Amino acid sequence: MTGLSFALDYAWLVPLSTLVAFVIVGLAGNRLKRLEWGGWVAVAGAFVAMVVGLLVAAAEMMGPGTYTDQSFTWLSVPGSPGTFPNGVNLVMGVLVDPLSALMLIVVTVVGFLVMLYSIGYMHHDRGLPRYYAELSLFLTAMNGLVLSDNLLEFFLFWELVGVCSYFLIGFYYEKPSAASAAKEAFLVTRVGDVLFLLGIFLYFATFATSGPGAGWAASGFKFANGTQPFLAGISGGNSTTLTIAGLLMLAGAAGKSAQFPLHVWLPDAMEGPTTVSALIHAATMVAAGVYLLAVTSIFLGFTATDQLAIVAIGGFTCFFAATMAVVNTDIKRVIAYSTISQLGYMVLAVGAGVTMVGMYHLFTHAFFKALLFLAAGSVIHAVGTQDLRKMGGLWKKLPITGLAFLFGALSLSGFPFTSGFLSKDDILGSVLAATSAHPLYWPFFLLALLTVFLTAYYIFRAFFLAFGGPAPRDPALPEAHEGPWVMRLPLIVLSALALGAGWLAFYPPFASLLAGGGVPPSFSATDLALSAVSFGLVLGGIGLAYALFGNGRMVEVPAGSAADRVRSVLLNRYYFKAGYDWIGLRAVYGFSRAADFVERYVIDGTIRGIERAFARGSDQLRKVQTGIVSDYAAYVIGGLVGFLLLLLVVAPWIVAHLGGS
Amino acid sequence: MIYEELAFLLIAAVAIVTALNALLVRELVHTILWVAIFFIDLAALYFLLLAPFLGVLELGVYAGAVTILLLFGVMVTRKRIFSREAATGIGPAPVALAGLSLAFVLLGTEELPQSGSVVHSYDPALLSAQLFNADGPWLILLGLAMLSALAGAIYLVREGRE
Amino acid sequence: MSAFSPAGLLALSGGLLAIGLFGILTRRNFILLLISVEIAINAAVLNFVYFAAFSGSASALSGQAIAVVLIGLAATEVAVGLAIVLALNRLRGSINVAEANALKS
Repeated sequence: MTGLSFALDYAWLVPLSTLVAFVIVGLAGNRLKRLEWGGWVAVAGAFVAMVVGLLVAAAEMMGPGTYTDQSFTWLSVPGSPGTFPNGVNLVMGVLVDPLSALMLIVVTVVGFLVMLYSIGYMHHDRGLPRYYAELSLFLTAMNGLVLSDNLLEFFLFWELVGVCSYFLIGFYYEKPSAASAAKEAFLVTRVGDVLFLLGIFLYFATFATSGPGAGWAASGFKFANGTQPFLAGISGGNSTTLTIAGLLMLAGAAGKSAQFPLHVWLPDAMEGPTTVSALIHAATMVAAGVYLLAVTSIFLGFTATDQLAIVAIGGFTCFFAATMAVVNTDIKRVIAYSTISQLGYMVLAVGAGVTMVGMYHLFTHAFFKALLFLAAGSVIHAVGTQDLRKMGGLWKKLPITGLAFLFGALSLSGFPFTSGFLSKDDILGSVLAATSAHPLYWPFFLLALLTVFLTAYYIFRAFFLAFGGPAPRDPALPEAHEGPWVMRLPLIVLSALALGAGWLAFYPPFASLLAGGGVPPSFSATDLALSAVSFGLVLGGIGLAYALFGNGRMVEVPAGSAADRVRSVLLNRYYFKAGYDWIGLRAVYGFSRAADFVERYVIDGTIRGIERAFARGSDQLRKVQTGIVSDYAAYVIGGLVGFLLLLLVVAPWIVAHLGGS
Repeated sequence: MIYEELAFLLIAAVAIVTALNALLVRELVHTILWVAIFFIDLAALYFLLLAPFLGVLELGVYAGAVTILLLFGVMVTRKRIFSREAATGIGPAPVALAGLSLAFVLLGTEELPQSGSVVHSYDPALLSAQLFNADGPWLILLGLAMLSALAGAIYLVREGRE
Repeated sequence: MSAFSPAGLLALSGGLLAIGLFGILTRRNFILLLISVEIAINAAVLNFVYFAAFSGSASALSGQAIAVVLIGLAATEVAVGLAIVLALNRLRGSINVAEANALKS
């Protein structure tokens, strides 16, 4: 159907509509008669973005593999012969290709639903115009990132997304913990961002000069057309420089996607409103890191070393984060750890060379994770606490929320025939297939497999703690009731998507967005066996969770036991945060002290010394100024005599003895 | 020849002695007398060097006017005309400086021809032509300078200025 | 007529200049200072006259012309200097240059 292809030319409307909403709410939000109106403006902006985004995605599906790029050059540096022959052009543009179309669906749909949900959830909060303005700006930035057609523009929006995340985590800026969490998120992701920027520089340095691929900088770092990885044709795609550049890209992605060892900020980011956690820190922004890896792997390609590093990071992170989720009692943090864990799966898939399978998981994950967060938000909205130990018995009071959470949990744990099952088992199968060629992937595959069990356990532990049992464990909790329709509708829509979105992969036009191998999942004998194993692990996890926490039970670990010590390590997140604090406090502060000392005593001391020398010297020199005319005459005559000495005695002597000619 | 040499040596000796005396005596009035003799001696030297106009000028301006002016200055600034100046120490530095400059001048004389001849006798017409030269009317310029100096001097000494 | 040795004349003017400088450097009485300056100027004028007499040039008399101007200027300078002496005497009651040290601060 070519009737829709015109939509491809209007993709720029997606970021623009939310940008307009941002400007309206941001500038006029406080003057509106009722603050909720600002929310409806933002919802309208997000709605337009969703409609256009879906149209664009549909058009892309109808014409598979279409590559639509509209751009202009905003800075052109002409080349010079020699080492810099091609020059550099910096461009801004809008690119619609299968990958960005897929991301558009995720971002705009989840964005709209969360925006709608916010109307009900944020009803009682102050600073609403700020909230809606920042959320609209975030959607603008995220859609801009998705539609970027070159690496630099990508980075610009990447930073904009980061700053929106900072604003929104610190939304309750009066709370010290929220303010510090915002700073932590900003600083930790900044580490990744700086490395990412270095990676861009490295690509620039490599491709701005002569040699194969020299035209890339001249084309403005544009993501090239076609599925052939850009590096494939360049020196076997395996040079040291390109390996390092790929690792720097991985570092950037690890910062944004909270991968080990830059994972510490994401759990703390839960200080922001739950809606923000759902949209930014679960469904979209943290996926940007995976998206970066996917884009890099498709358009640039990774070397074998890079791939192993990515697999290692992803595989380890997904297990590592899951262990921390096992003992946590904060409903949002449990889900946050599961996000890190699931992002680890995606990174693992990209590293194993099945990029599109990772993107497939990103797609399904966005919906069930947003659903989980919104359901958790609904719970928090109803009972006013995030502590799982106080909850209980909410199943009867919050039936819609409970069902939604159950669907999300099933999908997250990979229960058969949910979206999560399809994509997660696709990843496991693909990585298993990759191990035959790369035996080093084995340990990480096993970690990922083990994580299936942990995931099922911790999410159903949370489910049973919150919804199971006859009544809340803390009687002081208020009477729970469901939220307004604006909160229930997104839950219902997302429930459907959480269960069914994965099946879209079997719809050929949609699968064309993920073309490139691995999607839709195949069902060979190996795959079925693997699915059976993982189903067994899921059942085991759910069963264990039920045995320990089902029906209102809550197992207390005896204090001082070995289990309690393990729990303490896990609750303290393996002391990573404390370690980073130590580094920050001791190492950086110590260095700063040293720098301060140098600044204060060495540099300032030198300056003061010079100053003092001049002051004292001029005190001495003042005595020359006697005010007596004869003395001045003596100076004049002395100067004249000195000059004559120089001219008549010294200069001839020098000429006679030293001057050759 | 020999008479001129002798005359020169005599004049030079008198010039040096009178100049030194003028600076070294401690009575200001005596200083002025010594310096008057010095000027007359220089006038004699100018006659010897075939510059009679300058000799007359030296006599008139220096030995006459300047000496009288200096004497007048001494009279105005002192209650008693004959009073001795306080002795002034002669440090090594001024002597060294003066000696060094003398040494340089003497050093310079070695570069000059040791003998020469007078090619021009005194020609008043030529001298006046040069003094009133159209390219450089020196005497008129000198007059202007004197006039402005006169104005400055009157300004400096005028009544009621504290 | 042939001349006597130029070296002697130059030595004379150099000596007079040195005496003048010596006076300028050591004397503290303003009138003595003026006299020292006059001696030094006369030493310079002497050089002009001397070179006017001994140079080989046809227009050599311009040295004498300059000497005339110089004598006039020196006389002018004495007049102004004496005016300063009078002003200084009235202002400070002394013509000792060591006391006229307002430039110091």
